[in-house]
Amino acid sequence: MKTFFLGAAAAALLHITPTVVLVKRQDAVARLLPGADNFAVRELHLSSADSRRLHDAVGWEPPDGVVTFYVGKHQGQVTGALIFMRVDCQHGPIELAIGYDPRGTIRGVEVTKATVEMKPWIVEALRAGLANEYHGLAVAEAPSGAEKVKPRIGTMPGYMAELIDKGVMHANAAYRLFYGRK
Amino acid sequence: MLYDLRHSDLQVRWLVTLLLATLGTSYLFGAWMVGLYAGFSPRKVAETYGPAGEAMMAMQMPPDSTVVTERPVSMAEMGEEHHHVDRDLLIQDTHVHMPMYAVIAACLSVIALGLALPRWAGLSIIALLFAAPWLDFAGMWLTKLASPRFAIVTLAGGWAMALGYTIVAVLATYQMWWRKQ
Repeated sequence: MKTFFLGAAAAALLHITPTVVLVKRQDAVARLLPGADNFAVRELHLSSADSRRLHDAVGWEPPDGVVTFYVGKHQGQVTGALIFMRVDCQHGPIELAIGYDPRGTIRGVEVTKATVEMKPWIVEALRAGLANEYHGLAVAEAPSGAEKVKPRIGTMPGYMAELIDKGVMHANAAYRLFYGRK
Repeated sequence: MLYDLRHSDLQVRWLVTLLLATLGTSYLFGAWMVGLYAGFSPRKVAETYGPAGEAMMAMQMPPDSTVVTERPVSMAEMGEEHHHVDRDLLIQDTHVHMPMYAVIAACLSVIALGLALPRWAGLSIIALLFAAPWLDFAGMWLTKLASPRFAIVTLAGGWAMALGYTIVAVLATYQMWWRKQ
């Protein structure tokens, strides 16, 4: 009976905490695609070869083989693009929104979702200026926001910053390899 | 019958009643959540757990060359939550939920062991309680890996879970508080 209750307690403790919205998707779109009044969704169903290419570049590929870009336009001109990227870890998923300007550099990064457990860690990393570290980053450059903010934050916020770096790296690779594909 | 809930101490019956009430409430919210994120029709479940994208029924295998589609979308649509469970998320969901389902099935089975039932009925209820989560997740994985038609298995798992809980809750409540002989 004791084992049973210990097992139940362990199962409860190991449960990933619920997801919380940190920034609404619409707000992220408004911030990352400013001035856009027309939007398009561009879906790329990757071939095996392209999936492999992406995997070789950054050790990641979309699990369902689809990369989705949201393109913002104003008077027929592209004002930027945005990609939502999920990063998984043992504490649950984090969702990022990564916005690009028309030149292909990062306009901004928003953390749109996380779990209840991860939220305070992420907030601490963001308050240390993590998001600013990505502004203006070219897609070919490796994100190093975590390295910059780690001396000023705790261990778990530092780990969250590494995960956010990873998500930005995945988005950059997808943008670099496939955004221009017709 | 390993023990007799009908003649158990008031504290035990009170515990079982509150456990059933709590599980019942969580099941109601579970159903509400399924309605919000996955739906109760095979088509909705297939959309949630099957391959992603517009052409999900047609494109289960990677295309020979990358296919690009573009269509206009409104700001509201961009903000909408298209809840789609991809392989990685399903791995995480399975890891997180299966142990909890096992604990719930075990709790309900322990209650069933204290009911005045023929042995075959007890065995059937226990089998149903454990079959439900297996059907649920088998359906999700088969929908993802084999065919969207397997969404029906997930729905069967959900209904089996509700049926198993209802049988145990109704019998236990009746036997504990009304039928003492």
